[in-house]
Amino acid sequence: MIPQSQPDLSPRTRCPTPAAVGGRHSVLVRLAALTGVALLVLASGGSANAADDAFTAPAPEASGPIRSIRKYAVPAVSLVRDDGKVVSLPDEMSDGRPIVLNFIFTTCGSTCPLMSSVFAQFEHRLGAEADKVHLMSISIDPEQDTPARLHEYAQKFHSGLEWQHYTGTLAASITAQRAFDVYRGGKMSHAAVTLMRAAPGKPWLRIEGFVTADDLVRDYRELLAAR
Amino acid sequence: MSAWRLASAGACLLAGLALPGPAPAAPADNVGRSIYLRGVLGSGAPLEGTREAGVVTTAADAACVNCHQRSGLGSVEGSLSIPPVTGEYLFHSRAHDASEPVLPYVESLHGNRDPYTDATLARAIREGLDSQGRPLNYLMPRFALGDEDMAALVEYLKTLSVRQVPGVTDTVLHFATISTPDADPLKRRGMLDVLEQFFVQKNLFPLKPSPRMLTSGKTQYSKSMYMANRHWQLHVWELTGPAASWRAQLDKHLAAEPVYAVLSGLAGSNWAPVHEFCEQNAIPCLFPNVEVPVIAERDFYSLYFSKGVLLEAQLIARTILGPDNHPTAGAVEQVYRAGDSGEPAAKALAAQLKGHGVTVHSTVLTAGAQGHGVTAVLRAAALRKDARGQALVLWLRPGDIAALSDVPAGAATVYLSGRMGGLEKSPLPAGWREHTLMTYPFDLPGRRGVRLDYPLGWFSFRHIPVVAEQVQTDTYLACSLLADVLNRMADNFARPYLIEQLQALLEHRIITGYYPHLTLASNQRFASKGGYVVHFRDPGGTALVAEADWIVP
Repeated sequence: MIPQSQPDLSPRTRCPTPAAVGGRHSVLVRLAALTGVALLVLASGGSANAADDAFTAPAPEASGPIRSIRKYAVPAVSLVRDDGKVVSLPDEMSDGRPIVLNFIFTTCGSTCPLMSSVFAQFEHRLGAEADKVHLMSISIDPEQDTPARLHEYAQKFHSGLEWQHYTGTLAASITAQRAFDVYRGGKMSHAAVTLMRAAPGKPWLRIEGFVTADDLVRDYRELLAAR
Repeated sequence: MSAWRLASAGACLLAGLALPGPAPAAPADNVGRSIYLRGVLGSGAPLEGTREAGVVTTAADAACVNCHQRSGLGSVEGSLSIPPVTGEYLFHSRAHDASEPVLPYVESLHGNRDPYTDATLARAIREGLDSQGRPLNYLMPRFALGDEDMAALVEYLKTLSVRQVPGVTDTVLHFATISTPDADPLKRRGMLDVLEQFFVQKNLFPLKPSPRMLTSGKTQYSKSMYMANRHWQLHVWELTGPAASWRAQLDKHLAAEPVYAVLSGLAGSNWAPVHEFCEQNAIPCLFPNVEVPVIAERDFYSLYFSKGVLLEAQLIARTILGPDNHPTAGAVEQVYRAGDSGEPAAKALAAQLKGHGVTVHSTVLTAGAQGHGVTAVLRAAALRKDARGQALVLWLRPGDIAALSDVPAGAATVYLSGRMGGLEKSPLPAGWREHTLMTYPFDLPGRRGVRLDYPLGWFSFRHIPVVAEQVQTDTYLACSLLADVLNRMADNFARPYLIEQLQALLEHRIITGYYPHLTLASNQRFASKGGYVVHFRDPGGTALVAEADWIVP
């Protein structure tokens, strides 16, 4: 059975503000946050269309990203950057810059290209501010995604200097995925998760589901303002 | 539970689609196909899709196939499910009518909508609204298609509804296994023993045709486990004569015995004609035992366990060049027998060393060079030594390896293809062992024990002699994967769907035989992607020491 992502029902779950969520989802997400049942449906779906039972599927528009604040211990693993250099994950995350992180694989046809497009747009929208942030994309199919393939993938999205892609051993990738609670047993069952941290030592903002670049910019600015 | 049955309205639309028959007019069909598979419009311009908040995707990245798959049957990615878009699913109705045919179950089906019409489908593609006017998932872009392109695409989706698949009857699934004339006869017998026994086992419980699997969800699906209603029939296609004549033989076999898929198989150094036959006839060709597969990541129907000796060439190149591309040898001398798998392997290695300042020579052994002849050739080769050190690469079989005598002077490091040379059982003479690194494109013997216990126990229980362990366990693995994937597919036999489902399930497989792990995805054809470089621990025996961790070149 493919594991489903578990909804986060802990008290840490932040009630999303309309500003943070925005768009047509805001009302629904607020509603969802108020009712545990609705939240369960949303979070276990990720997409409202996910439910394959004709009779319990919520209306298709009822999906939206779910935000929460989490603490993660960055694991001491070595990864290989898309320039071929072997690096330590904690080192890559501790140069003081805010981090925006996701997990992708290059032969993914649907979710990953969209997430990467959003990163590209995010970079673009930040403009000159972009060189203050560090975007990181870690491969969840590391044996296929050699540094050369990751580099080629990055080029497709015109990634700037502040956006790096990482691969490594399968074990290292899984350790990183587990540390950020995105490991779902295999690349085919991955979840669309974006993580963001203002500075080393600070907690992470976890965004589950598809997020637009505008929302991501808003989240980023909010997070930095609260630093 | 309700089965999604076709209401009369949907059935009218479907009547023309459900039956096999000639494809619609070629030009429109080609345009639809090109939009779906390549993201190219009828005008030749790239397809452009826009998502909410202006995320634009174009050309091949925007093509429908990326999400909805070549079969059109969609996919499930984590909690996200991408629905089927073949005509029969789009135009089906939820209404109950026992007199209407039902649709096979697919995992990604969304049921909560009315059937589409051509008009509402065009609206879904252009505006992102479903048949009842509700927004589609965020992932689905909007495509501003013109009327002609739209009509062509919709027609193409209708042609994707395949209900009759060659090699599949109500009671029998036909498979072929193919061997080439230069295949090792001992390995061939070992492979056929496994295949024949697997089919016998599979057919132990021949049941009468079971009711068609319904689209009503997992309750029905779970009842379909083991697909016991269809008999598996194996057709053994033995190719003879020169490679140039194989294609005609294959076409003849196929005409006489239409098969659903090609399972396992065995080749000498050339599998390309079989690969091309499968691609051109759209026949899945699953995990043949080949040392030299065809590397064409954009092909679709052929799946392999690994790149074989071509992977070993990559491992050797990686070891010689090091992580920073500073070669550890100035010259490389490769030795192989004419016409054997070492020939393409040597060519691949030479290509990878090109441009790195390494001189590559080849010594080709012909039928006459036996025993000491091999050593004489090697000694002659050693005279071409280079001041920066020489590497000797042996693409040889156990017979030639056993006949090696003294180590040629000047060969700093010897590389040996483990796959060709017999892995840990390679009869490499004692004097050679301390100089030799062997490529080992499998998990190490001590680590794969548990993963082999099951197949080896299965062989023992069925009195199958183990004559070629790796080939036989790979064959067993291929059979098991086929059984697994057919369970998962329930009653939906579209051939591309078989490939897509294998790509999706493979990484969850635990019993992976000789391989530490297997994984595939769209546009991935080789399931195991790395290997070890090892040396023999002792002057005799089979103990190996890995030079480094698993290497993915």
